[in-house]
Amino acid sequence: MTSKRFILKRLLLLVPVLLGVATLVFAILHLSPGNPARVIAGARASEAFVQRIENDLGLNDPIWIQYGRFLGDVVTFDFGRSYTVRQGTPVSTVLQTFFPTTLELALLGQLFGILIGLPLGVLSAVKQDSLTDHFTRIGALAGISVPIFWSGPLLIMLFAVQLDLVPTSGRLGVAYDNPEITGLITVDTLLVGDIPAFVDAAQHLALPALVIGIYATALISRMMRSSMLEVIRQDYMRTARAKGQGAKITVMKHGFRNALIPVVTIIGIQFGSLLGGAVLTETVFNIRGIGTLLVEAIQSGDYPVVQGTVLLFALLFTLVNLGVDITYSYLDPRIDQ
Amino acid sequence: MSTETTSEEHTSERGLVDRLFASPFLTDLLSNRLALIGLGIIGMLVVVALYARFVMIGGLTPDLTPIVSSKLGTAPSMQGPCGSSKVGQSIQNAGNCPYPFGTDIQARNIFDRVLYGSWLALKWGTVTVGISTVLGVGLGTLAAYYGDVTDNVIMRTMDVLLAFPSLLLALALVAIFGPSLTNAVIALVLVYTPRFARVVRGAALKVLEDEYVDATVALGATDPRILVKHVLPNSLAPITVQSTLNFGLAIIDLAALSFLGFGAQAGTPSWGAMLSEGVNYGLLSGQWWWSFFPGLFLAVTVLGFNLLGDGMRDALDPRMRETVD
Repeated sequence: MTSKRFILKRLLLLVPVLLGVATLVFAILHLSPGNPARVIAGARASEAFVQRIENDLGLNDPIWIQYGRFLGDVVTFDFGRSYTVRQGTPVSTVLQTFFPTTLELALLGQLFGILIGLPLGVLSAVKQDSLTDHFTRIGALAGISVPIFWSGPLLIMLFAVQLDLVPTSGRLGVAYDNPEITGLITVDTLLVGDIPAFVDAAQHLALPALVIGIYATALISRMMRSSMLEVIRQDYMRTARAKGQGAKITVMKHGFRNALIPVVTIIGIQFGSLLGGAVLTETVFNIRGIGTLLVEAIQSGDYPVVQGTVLLFALLFTLVNLGVDITYSYLDPRIDQ
Repeated sequence: MSTETTSEEHTSERGLVDRLFASPFLTDLLSNRLALIGLGIIGMLVVVALYARFVMIGGLTPDLTPIVSSKLGTAPSMQGPCGSSKVGQSIQNAGNCPYPFGTDIQARNIFDRVLYGSWLALKWGTVTVGISTVLGVGLGTLAAYYGDVTDNVIMRTMDVLLAFPSLLLALALVAIFGPSLTNAVIALVLVYTPRFARVVRGAALKVLEDEYVDATVALGATDPRILVKHVLPNSLAPITVQSTLNFGLAIIDLAALSFLGFGAQAGTPSWGAMLSEGVNYGLLSGQWWWSFFPGLFLAVTVLGFNLLGDGMRDALDPRMRETVD
């Protein structure tokens, strides 16, 4: 089983990486062209006013003092205040508002990928070189090759414009109230028992989650197939069959768990791509999540928001990978030695 | 052959090409039907790209006017592709089809623009992957060969870059550099280099453990000689696989950055920028061809590189399962 020492070691290794990440993000703000004080003050503000803001923000302090202050802020999740659209709102509040939408999208896409990708991968491996296998492999390869910003519009064109089954964009129809409890709209509408709103939210979510889900399915089924193929040839599989155990039970009981190990890694690694995918998906479907927030923040020069978003993504990505390592050591106890 | 005939002589006797043909790598690759399809797609793309750049546009300083800006008055705007029967638009005659993929709102011929887009995709894909490969190979071999502090400094820096989801790091970098195609390429180079460095370092470490390297050291070979003559040629296979798979990724990421408005700017005949215009202005009004064809070319191109990359990886080592995200 998982040893505490292993987890502790991995956590300690995280410190320098996160410090590096924070340093890089700090550099992003300070290498960026333009004066943040000028962005806040507006183009027509007087020089004196801009200087006052500069002093307020501490932009005239030596760089190492600013850096120290920044690290202190990061540790306390204080990313400053938004410059532009949501002027004055603390970045952490902005992130809290936008993050659940992205999380909901990414989780549902990931779930879709796991539920469909894993069985497809196993099937493809067990029936190697059959027609099913060929279709699954080519389908999976196509799935990772088709860009989200093409498949998304195509699906909108088919299901929203031509067939009129789902809405073209957004997260919830204007006729419905967003209860805002957890921030996950489908969950919240269910919590307050507003079934029509839930159905509407689910309809809005269907296409974007499908787009991300197809990509996730493709990655997972590819990985599951190659991992399963390797496991099937192991001696213990043959032994289990020789004992008289049925083929299906052998595959499920002995094969699946062992084949799952590398797949868990890929599920973790692809979480990063899914977050990137969420940026594109949100843009295509006009969903107000972290992705569209980041794009807007870059366009308007709202650096604290850019900084906070990127840090949040990096932290999430790193933590998911840590989680993967721990799961890994649970699935294969030899790892932590 | 005596044991003194180390790889030093091997390399000089048998060139890289000979070695490649002697290895089962190429036979394996050529017997893989999917990889051949991928190779075919890439081959066709190269022909199309060269045609678009040197025949269609012509000259060393190409006249891009017809595909970058519109030639209003010469073509109808928002003309559907051949055979389409969009209501309110004239159906192009099947026998006479000047706009096979239709035209956009500025009456630009989408067919020409998409063809030229393949030139841009290949050109900038090559630049991105080329520079990342060179940087990654350099850093990776240095880290493996010198170890200790050099290794730690290089690889920990790479770890930090790898701690970001790739597209997001590229976006953040573009925020510093400002949106343009060149800056998108620079950002992606910084994103991809760590991946190459990691793969190359792993491969180089393996090579360095081999006895013939010790033998060359004993013979008094200098560091650069060992690196260039032995470590590099023997790490070539994983580098090639990584480059091929990354090529598809580079094309898709460049298009993604352009789609979001941070790469090629509006008006540029790049697939990403065309998709962006087509989706923003043509999707809900039914002009599907505006975004459909650039996306189709993009998807098929990426598929080609993935097919070939997959085949190469299988040929190199059927059990090598390391995937790139």
